[in-house]
Amino acid sequence: MSADSLFGPTQVAPNCGKIIKPGGEIETLSYDQTVPKISLRNVHKSFKGRKILDDISMDIMPGESHVVIGLSGAGKSVLIKCILGLLRPDSGTILINGEDWFHMSIEERLKRMPCIGVLFQGAALFDSMSVWENVAFVLLQRSISRSQARQQADQMLEMVGLPGIGDKMPSELSGGMKKRVGLARAICHSPEIIFYDEPLTGLDPVMADVITLLLKRLHETMNATSLTISHNMKLVQKFSDQVSMLYEGKIYAQISQQELQDTKDPLLRQFMEGRAEGPIRFGYEEAESKRSAAGDNREAV
Amino acid sequence: MLILQSIGAAVERLAHAFGLYPLMMGKVLARMRKPPWFFSHILRQCEKVGVQSLPVALLTAVFTGMVMALQSWVAFHRFGAESMIATVVSLSILRELGPVLVGLMVAGRVGASFAAELGTMRVTEQIDALWTLSTDPVRYLIMPRLLAVIVMMPLLVVLADAVGMFGGYVISVHVLDQNPHTYIRNSYEYLELIDFYSGLLKAAVFGFIIGLVSCAEGYYCAGGAAGVGKATTRAVVISAMSILIADYILTAWIFQ
Repeated sequence: MSADSLFGPTQVAPNCGKIIKPGGEIETLSYDQTVPKISLRNVHKSFKGRKILDDISMDIMPGESHVVIGLSGAGKSVLIKCILGLLRPDSGTILINGEDWFHMSIEERLKRMPCIGVLFQGAALFDSMSVWENVAFVLLQRSISRSQARQQADQMLEMVGLPGIGDKMPSELSGGMKKRVGLARAICHSPEIIFYDEPLTGLDPVMADVITLLLKRLHETMNATSLTISHNMKLVQKFSDQVSMLYEGKIYAQISQQELQDTKDPLLRQFMEGRAEGPIRFGYEEAESKRSAAGDNREAV
Repeated sequence: MLILQSIGAAVERLAHAFGLYPLMMGKVLARMRKPPWFFSHILRQCEKVGVQSLPVALLTAVFTGMVMALQSWVAFHRFGAESMIATVVSLSILRELGPVLVGLMVAGRVGASFAAELGTMRVTEQIDALWTLSTDPVRYLIMPRLLAVIVMMPLLVVLADAVGMFGGYVISVHVLDQNPHTYIRNSYEYLELIDFYSGLLKAAVFGFIIGLVSCAEGYYCAGGAAGVGKATTRAVVISAMSILIADYILTAWIFQ
């Protein structure tokens, strides 16, 4: 399958921020393009006394494709969950479009959610719904007819190279297909910020390349800001503008993609080259305990 | 010292576990005031809780009524008071056996299903996905389930009461040769409305317990497939235990 064959002429308008009012009316917000889309200041997060995120600060500007890399258990998924409001940081500030969502009511946050799209690591498709209902989920919650929603879902599925599977159930799909359906769902409502949580995990190299090109293409056509978590250096090379490396709970480096390629930093080079020898400390047990601690949902927002 | 530490840890775990229920209740109450209500989801859950639990509830009730009739006959035969079988069967079923047994059956069937379904959604990030798709998971998943089980439990109990009393009638009249007219008259002659209403009140309270415990266990589930299994077990066991404790408290309050 050629990656190019997947991409039809896409005309996805960038979302400038939408608020859904009662009754389904949508108010479009315009944001200052010099304000970072996502801004973190001194964010700390611990689980059971273990520091997962330690004084994290970063800015992601409009239209930027930012990739966060790091070892397994480095806290990448916790970082994304904190930004999305799924976990509450112990301290620090997280601003999205210049607004602190943690100080808003749940209703206010939910009204702002349409500006966000998320591709989860395991796709997180709803088992009880067909593929098209998954893709059109946000549209079906609005006062849009089912036929219109179906039409838009079918367009999205075609865009991710999966035409004609709308009536299938998620259990009938392969891992790669689920990822692409998850991607179609993440972009169906034209979000302005898209989060990709390890988009290539569990995919074969060809499918990984297809998805990478698809992400790149979508990024260019939608002009959306994206934050991606990945271990995959090919994805970093092809898809990122800025790269942050999380190491032992801290941002070890925050550099452009080109700077990353040229870096002589031994730790970054070791990670990029995937070598066992080097300065990186492999606290396997610590990483695993961090991972299991992060999986505790009892404080889920 | 080690024993004290173990006791302390156990108390902490208990407090943590039981803290989930007020937390979930608070979330539900905070959302009760405003729409959206997701009525279609409530109806779907009502069908799942009520209609699909009907065979289990009715089968339990009919055999309970039959056993009650047989056991009562054994006891009353010794005093020559067989005509009181109908009253004992009706009173026992309306006041106690109907709501408690249906509650336990629904806790096993529906409670387990709620906890497993929500737990699986939690560990596969489907609940997180709902949030990111501008949908409040508590409104979308928890409230319809909780309302459905509170509404459907009394309806199930009404049907179970009727079927249980019918089971008692069949055994008394066709096996123990009781007079059908006397049986029917004695079934309702000594009953008061409170006997019926108290059963319905108990059913609604048990429904609330099942909904709250199983939804909270599923929603706050952690630890992958093993965590879902543990949450499901906890949901059924805690619901069943809570139903029995609540039954005593309600009985003592209503009939004191």
